[in-house]
Amino acid sequence: MLKLLLIGLKDLKLMFRDRAALLLMLLTPFLLTLGMGLVTGQFSGDNNSGISDIPVVIVNLDNDSLGNALVDIFNSDDLADLVEPASSQDPEAARRQVDEDEVAAAIIIPAGFTQSVIPQGNAAPNEELTIEFYSNPSRPTSAGIVKAILDGFLARLDEMRLGGVTTITQLLASGRIQPQDANQVGEEIGERLQSAAANGNEATAITLNTSTSEEEANEFNALAYFAPGMALMFLMYTVSYGGRSILAEKAEGTLPRLLVSPTNSTQVLGGKVFGIFLMGAAQMLILIGASTLFFGLNWGNTLSVILLVLVAVFGATGWGLLITALARTPAQIGSVGSAVMLIFAMLGGSFIQLDNLPAIIQTIGRITPNAWAMDGFLTLALGGTLTLLSPPILALLTMGILLFLISAALFGRKNLIQK
Amino acid sequence: MQKILAIAWKDAIIRFSSPSEWLFFIVLPIVFTFIFAGGVPTGDEDNRIRLVVVDQANTTISQEIIRELENSTSVRPDVLSLEEAEEQFDAREATAVLVIPAGLDMQAIQNGTAQLDFRQPPNNLDASIAERAVDTAIRRVSSVVSAANMAVDEAKARGTFESAEDEQAYFAQALELAKSLQADSPERVTVVQGNTPDDFDYDPQANVSAGQLITWVFIPLFGISALFAYERQQGTLRRILTTPTSKATFLLGTISGQVVMALIQMTLLVLFAYFAFKLNWGNPLGVYIILICSALAAASIGTAMGTFIKSEGQAVGLSIMAGMLMGMLGGCWYPLELFPSFMQTIAQIFPTYWSMQGLLDLLLRGAGVAEILPEAGVLILFAGVFFSIGVWRFRYE
Repeated sequence: MLKLLLIGLKDLKLMFRDRAALLLMLLTPFLLTLGMGLVTGQFSGDNNSGISDIPVVIVNLDNDSLGNALVDIFNSDDLADLVEPASSQDPEAARRQVDEDEVAAAIIIPAGFTQSVIPQGNAAPNEELTIEFYSNPSRPTSAGIVKAILDGFLARLDEMRLGGVTTITQLLASGRIQPQDANQVGEEIGERLQSAAANGNEATAITLNTSTSEEEANEFNALAYFAPGMALMFLMYTVSYGGRSILAEKAEGTLPRLLVSPTNSTQVLGGKVFGIFLMGAAQMLILIGASTLFFGLNWGNTLSVILLVLVAVFGATGWGLLITALARTPAQIGSVGSAVMLIFAMLGGSFIQLDNLPAIIQTIGRITPNAWAMDGFLTLALGGTLTLLSPPILALLTMGILLFLISAALFGRKNLIQK
Repeated sequence: MQKILAIAWKDAIIRFSSPSEWLFFIVLPIVFTFIFAGGVPTGDEDNRIRLVVVDQANTTISQEIIRELENSTSVRPDVLSLEEAEEQFDAREATAVLVIPAGLDMQAIQNGTAQLDFRQPPNNLDASIAERAVDTAIRRVSSVVSAANMAVDEAKARGTFESAEDEQAYFAQALELAKSLQADSPERVTVVQGNTPDDFDYDPQANVSAGQLITWVFIPLFGISALFAYERQQGTLRRILTTPTSKATFLLGTISGQVVMALIQMTLLVLFAYFAFKLNWGNPLGVYIILICSALAAASIGTAMGTFIKSEGQAVGLSIMAGMLMGMLGGCWYPLELFPSFMQTIAQIFPTYWSMQGLLDLLLRGAGVAEILPEAGVLILFAGVFFSIGVWRFRYE
């Protein structure tokens, strides 16, 4: 056991002395993560994903109850975090603000809008008069949300209209009220509806029971996706680098020399494999530490993160061993290892979110440790706990064990340790 | 001239001595182009917030609610089973879940027993947007029943019904009326699309084909540095010194050999995109001007890198790192238009940016030879500066 440990630690030490290797193991993933953060605007607060304080300009030319009600909705406490309404009296200026990408949308309520919906006296409703929603096509998400708020208002408006008109018509038809009283009853009902609306007491006929879970979801940061993606990509480099050292030691004769000492071949090979595992774990933990320190990234529960790192490195080590078992020269491992690293990164979602890829590629991607570990890291970053990690952990363990067994069988045939 | 050819040929032999070189030369670039083309965000996706919906009722009413949600401009419903929904909600993959329980029908709405469950995490803006959208959807679906209920209530306030049947008939009549009124509801809003300058030219296959081509050609050309390191380590570089070969001849031979190989590689990738995606690359002369200038710039940078790198391993690592970083920051991987504005400016210091812009001008904007000359000029400038550094700093040992 002690020998195993010594051989493993020796390899770890050698890795830290190899500046060329450190370039790819630590510096490259770190810089790529930094680059991803820069191009996605994570460091400049210029990202498109966070939706809050959507700027919108409202032109209320109606200045009557409905127009004012709509302005009130946008200025309500409920929406304080979501929208940032400004008011204007100039429709042209408001549209210009949209065209110049200053706001997500302009809402223009025409003069006489209230009159057209709720005619006073005997005037007929004017259905031609509409609210103009002037939308910013470069901010589809924000504009969509503003439009949905407007739609919610209009849905309530329509509900009141349906209720009012249906009630009056039915009262008249059943003779419960006389035509000359219709207007007065209508106004009474209208006032009651409006005061109910003003008190926020406008329940729907279907009750919506809202339950709020106890645990808060962490604020999602795109870096929480890219940082593990890049680290896992170069973890695959590390495991093939470790495999290369097995063949290199064989070529240099230091591997057979170890056998002269009272160490059996299983211990030697076990030590080398343990070395690969240690290198991978050290690399991942350093990268995680660095991104926490420099980018303020929250990876989630520390113990769970460490556990996930260990099983991910275990699964990846399995792949490193398989490549080693199949290759004949250290150079072959180098190039095949780099190719596997890149393909696994692609299939495992390091560059592009797996959800965006075709289903077949998502399925194939499951052979990579990258895809499973990404799942786990994302769950943890979003505030998930260990209990949710069982699928990725089981998958990575199974992957590792299978690959270890296959590689062991291949190594056995190869008589790696003999001269 | 013969010397240059001999050196170039020697480099080709060294490079392709390992069959795995083909993997990097053509196989990986094609795999990456293919997968990337299907998965890079274009900015045209459905950007609405995803709302997981569980429909246990499966009635006309529940389907109407889902249809209304589909019409929402802020959320997009994704109908899943309760099990899947709960799993996703627990794993934080779903922000909010709407459960439509069994038994939700017209009768239940009329009785006032109709209920939906909405689950959300605390203090989540996306979830409150979704809740608002659900509220609007159920209001639209149930407002006819609300209207009929209101009609019955108001009627009762003005005298009782003779019988329960009477009341039910009154309700049914009101419901029909409300439905016909709703069908004729006037449109109260006109949507106008603003003229915000937005529509940047983007075609996933064109962008990805050009971007991957550049990345995969830059990385091996930066790898020229590894070639130098290899020869220096083997001592063959010193041996060349004994022959009457000048520094410039040697460097020119190495660079031109690699540039020719890069051109063959690029031609294969251009043909791949042409046949696989039916991609029209535009003016062929223009394409080759950009490709040659890009290859020269990358090869010169590789040469300059080769003058200070000590080992082959370092050179390989550094060329992969530099190639990927420049590819990413130069806009070869993700559309430059999605970058923050300051990063769009910084991108211009990378040769990959100019290669990419040149190819995109040809691919998407139908540019002619004259329009891509500025990009070609910048690339040649890169080539000149770095080649000079290479010659100046070059050592045989």
